[in-house]
Amino acid sequence: MSLWVDKYRPASLAKLDYHKDQAAHLKKLVEGGDFPHLLVYGPSGAGKKTRIMCTLRELYGPGVEKLRIEQSHFTTPSNKKLEISTISSNYHIEVNPSDVGHNDRVVIQELIKNVAQVNQLDTSTQKNFKVVVLTEVDRLSKEAQHALRRTMEKYMATCRLILCCNSTSKVIPAIRSRCLGLRVAAPTIDEICQILTTVCKKEGLTIPREMAEKVAEKSGRNLRRALLMCEACRVQQYPFNPERDVSEPDWEIYLRETATLIAQQQSPKRLLEVRGRLYELLTHCIPPDVIMKGLLKELLQVCDGQMKAEVVQNAAYYEHRLQQGQKAIYHLEAFVAKFMAIYKRFLEEGIADIF
Amino acid sequence: MDDSFELEYADELDALDIVNDEDVVPPPYSPPKSKRSLVFATPKEGRVKANSLAQDDKQKRPKSMLVGLTPPSSPEFDPVDDIGNRKRLQSSPSTEGDEIDGAVMDSQMSTSNKRPRLTEENCLQSDVDMSADAAVDFIRQYRGAKGLQRSDARDAATLVKNDLERPKVHKHIPKGDFMSTLGYEGQRVYMQLWDEDVLESELSSFEKDSRHLNLLPTPVCILKEQIEDLHTRKVIEEADEIHESLRRQLDTMEDDECIGIDETSETNDNGREKEKDDIDILSEELKSLWVEKYAPRKYTELLSEESINRSLLHWLKLWDYVVFGKDVPKPMKKGANKLKKEKEAPFKNKKFLSEVAEQLDKHHRPEQKIALLCGPPGLGKTTLAHIVAKHAGYNVVEMNASDDRSVDVFRNKIESATQMKSVMEADPRPNCLVIDEIDGAPAPAINVLLNLIKRTDVDAASEKKKKKKEELLLRPIICVCNDQYVPALRQLRQMALILNFPQTESSKLASRLHEVVKLERLKADLNALLALCERTDNDIRSCLNTLQFVRQNHKELTLRDVQTMSVGQKDSQKSLFSVWNDIFTMPRPKKNRFVSIHDLAEGKQDTLQVNNISPSARFQHILDMCQAAGETDRVMQGIHENYLEAKAKDPHLFGLNIANDWLCFSDCINQYIARNQDFSMLKFSSYLPVTFHFLYATYNPSRVQFPHEQFEAKQKQQKTLNLLNSLLSDMAPLTQKFTNSTSLTLDLLSPMLDILQPTMRPVNTQLYSSKEKEDLSNVVNIMIAYNMTYHQEKTPDGQYVYALDPNMEEVIKFPGSKQRKQLTYGAKQMIAREIALEKMRRAENARTKEAKAEVLPTTPTSVIEKNKSKSTVPNHLQKLEAKSIVPQKASINFFGNLVRTKREKNEAKASEAGEMKQDKSKRELLDTVIWFHFKEGFSNAVRRNVKVEDLL
Repeated sequence: MSLWVDKYRPASLAKLDYHKDQAAHLKKLVEGGDFPHLLVYGPSGAGKKTRIMCTLRELYGPGVEKLRIEQSHFTTPSNKKLEISTISSNYHIEVNPSDVGHNDRVVIQELIKNVAQVNQLDTSTQKNFKVVVLTEVDRLSKEAQHALRRTMEKYMATCRLILCCNSTSKVIPAIRSRCLGLRVAAPTIDEICQILTTVCKKEGLTIPREMAEKVAEKSGRNLRRALLMCEACRVQQYPFNPERDVSEPDWEIYLRETATLIAQQQSPKRLLEVRGRLYELLTHCIPPDVIMKGLLKELLQVCDGQMKAEVVQNAAYYEHRLQQGQKAIYHLEAFVAKFMAIYKRFLEEGIADIF
Repeated sequence: MDDSFELEYADELDALDIVNDEDVVPPPYSPPKSKRSLVFATPKEGRVKANSLAQDDKQKRPKSMLVGLTPPSSPEFDPVDDIGNRKRLQSSPSTEGDEIDGAVMDSQMSTSNKRPRLTEENCLQSDVDMSADAAVDFIRQYRGAKGLQRSDARDAATLVKNDLERPKVHKHIPKGDFMSTLGYEGQRVYMQLWDEDVLESELSSFEKDSRHLNLLPTPVCILKEQIEDLHTRKVIEEADEIHESLRRQLDTMEDDECIGIDETSETNDNGREKEKDDIDILSEELKSLWVEKYAPRKYTELLSEESINRSLLHWLKLWDYVVFGKDVPKPMKKGANKLKKEKEAPFKNKKFLSEVAEQLDKHHRPEQKIALLCGPPGLGKTTLAHIVAKHAGYNVVEMNASDDRSVDVFRNKIESATQMKSVMEADPRPNCLVIDEIDGAPAPAINVLLNLIKRTDVDAASEKKKKKKEELLLRPIICVCNDQYVPALRQLRQMALILNFPQTESSKLASRLHEVVKLERLKADLNALLALCERTDNDIRSCLNTLQFVRQNHKELTLRDVQTMSVGQKDSQKSLFSVWNDIFTMPRPKKNRFVSIHDLAEGKQDTLQVNNISPSARFQHILDMCQAAGETDRVMQGIHENYLEAKAKDPHLFGLNIANDWLCFSDCINQYIARNQDFSMLKFSSYLPVTFHFLYATYNPSRVQFPHEQFEAKQKQQKTLNLLNSLLSDMAPLTQKFTNSTSLTLDLLSPMLDILQPTMRPVNTQLYSSKEKEDLSNVVNIMIAYNMTYHQEKTPDGQYVYALDPNMEEVIKFPGSKQRKQLTYGAKQMIAREIALEKMRRAENARTKEAKAEVLPTTPTSVIEKNKSKSTVPNHLQKLEAKSIVPQKASINFFGNLVRTKREKNEAKASEAGEMKQDKSKRELLDTVIWFHFKEGFSNAVRRNVKVEDLL
């Protein structure tokens, strides 16, 4: 008994609900007995990790589901002690190196060496390689990524890497070329609806089609979110009532309110107010790019056709800056200020046209 | 000759000159060339004279002999001495007595003569040598002229002598009275004793004869006098010369010391020196820094603000009771004064002065144990501290940054300065410790000082115990620093009298500079000096140094010099607040007071243009300031948090965009620097404040706030992260695998908290329907899987609530968002209990499963029955078993064959039998019915393993 997300997570490649051809490919790949390093990428809530887990199960059998959490200790050259938790089974080990910040290089080097230098004893019954799953590869520092590329080739005989990330844009090309890229696209609205219906059926509930669509829309094609929302709705009120609002996460509401504030008034004073709200969002560990994206989405709704292009272009510019920079607040604020200027000009022009 | 003389007498000359030149009484005969010229020559002359005179009085002969005997060549010219040498009885003075034999006499004479000579020699040896040498020279010259005459005279003299000699010593007994004695070769000789009258007459006749002979054209005594005279004149001349050169050096030194005080002597000296080369003077004058030279010596000469001087002095006077035992000035009157003062200038007081607390503590010390003088460099803080301390009668002990300031050294120095007093030196005044540049001292060292101050407050009670170690602070300590906001000083500030130095008034400083300039004969008008003051931010030290620098090359300082000069500019570091204030403040146009008429006449319009409000000047000013200030990150933060408050005309928000673009740019630069450690990019970050200055500077800016938002935001974010991590770290592996902190915040937590709050009836769980039970168990399972529970907390108003632990509410809750529906207290309590129970159940399950897993494989194989029995034998049945003897390792002999000892053989047999028995008995024990004995008072009597599930 657990959350629906965990409860109805498919365990094998055959049971996957969407991207079935991709699942078939994976199955074939695994059946061949060997496979190259994989780079699984796609938006969150699309089922990357589920897919990885299914592949591993296909490879090693149900033994991979016996997971345990271990704390690994590493020492940097500067004698700093690092501690990182890993999730491992007998056949694989999963780690998120970016947890240790800029010392991720040490983790990459040491951990993979440790795993890869030990050969499987009995190769007749098992595969002769282990799998290392690295998550959030896009958050790895450049040094760590460079450290990774040689290791990938060197220990090919004893280990395979499965890299998992949201976007390949921050993965250096050298690594991209060493891996078989596997894009897990977000499920379509239809697919989500399908899944929601089946889940509800399994739970012994009935979900109206409109309700499922509404949830799917709200989730932004994020399956995890869709399932959670659906379950939340179920807890709050059953039978489902399509008329009722699906509750959204607080931060989204907050972000929307912020966008409204920006659209209402364009002045330094308002910008100051907005800054406070941006800080609030940042302190709640909402990633700045998500904030930027959310703001843009909301702000575009008040924009005219011509202006939209300009705003989007600026948003892209400032998000790029955001990635390059250190402190997100400057860039978010700059985007807001820019939007204010554009919007104000637009309003004034509109007023001038009237008279 | 001159050189050697100078060398020989250098020490004495110095000593003499330094001791006193005026006091020495000049001898009457010396030519009064100048007062000073006599200084060194006189004492010796006088002494020689006095000596010789005294001797002359006592006995005439020895004196003449003294002069005559010393040089080897001289005796032959002195008839009197010649005679003496020949042991004539007549030559010996009459006082010796007639009866004494000539030879004995002679020996006596020589010794008695020698003694004074030697002593004379000791003190004035070289002087005598000098005079003797001079005499020889003189006589030689004379001899050259009167060669013939002299030889004649000599012959005659010897004749007379021979004549006289004859009757003196006899080989046979003479007629009349005689005396026997031994001659040269040891033979007996006799000497006739003459009558005194006869001798006298003979002597007088001889003297008459000798005068009559007239060997020299002038008598020896006159000659001697002449020689002496010549000699003294020469010596005086030499001394004069030496003195002159010495005086020149001394004068320069003297000038340095006394210039501020007596101007007249200065001008006199100057008058004389004018004859010499200008360069010469300069080189001499520049030997000392003007800063030293013109430092104030008295309280009244201080340039710093009067009120500060006074309050420091006042504070110092509060120590009087402790240090000197005097009464402290009446506080009542002061209080009235203070009131009055406050009425007059309330702002001024607040700004610069923290009031001197009048009250004394129980040890009669002032409340504020130390004084802290702070202000930018060059305003005379150190000077003030020294002068005031001296003024109040203290002996100043200074510690500054150049001293070692490690903790131990610091403590030693403080204690020695505050608790001891110099005994050896004549200075009986109590010490006043001046700690200079305290802002640079390491924090532990400052803590030592702090402890010293505090300890005396707190430890008054426990003082008796450790009296030896911990002495009260009974001496004032004055600390001097530039930046009072250094973190290390934070605590010290609270217990110190803080005196903030405002800038010296330009006019005051300029007038003092004018005095200095006048004394140094540097032409400079007041305008130029004012401009200089302006330029150096009224830094006295910097002004004086600049002036001295100018003086070295030119003779005058003009306004244009000041304006074009590249010296005198300070790269002074300003506090962050002043930097921010300058950025957001439009500079007020200043009247360009310093343009002279000449400049205007020459059409120097550009100087007029380059005033402080021209854009280029503003640009340069802000840029310079920011480059000097450093801390670009802090400056940037301050700007960022304050620029939106600034009032600026910006209807189209273009300025806002520019400003934000600059912020982004600077941020990117900072990131680049941090990532690549490439600090060459740092130079660009100073342009950010310039941009903001041009965009947002106003004439009356709002108060600049210290930037804290970013820091607070960072802290909050860290807190959230910690919460998330604590949640993640103990999650079940399967759930942890599929979540991370981002997905938690974005997707998971918000709906999950809804899911965790199903509607529950506030009744006993036993009464729940099956669906409700299912809901409850679902919630419990989820919470366990995600490592959450409810935790009882006490709110500030004393109520108990159950809150999520870790508190995820905090993570997802935003200000203003609608309140989430909350479970009732009872429901939460129930869930919390259920979670605890469920956890226990699971743990139990895991254990039994483990045990089963262990048991299962063992059952079929009875071989390891022992193992099983071990796990199932209840505690009370377990027995302590003797440690089984580990069979000895079979010993192998050298060739690798087994060697069996007798004992082993026996043991082998015995152990086999024993083992069988043991096994059997154990099995029997298990098979039989188990009896429980109840022993009262013995807790171990009945023991049973009870499983948790049995109780639930």
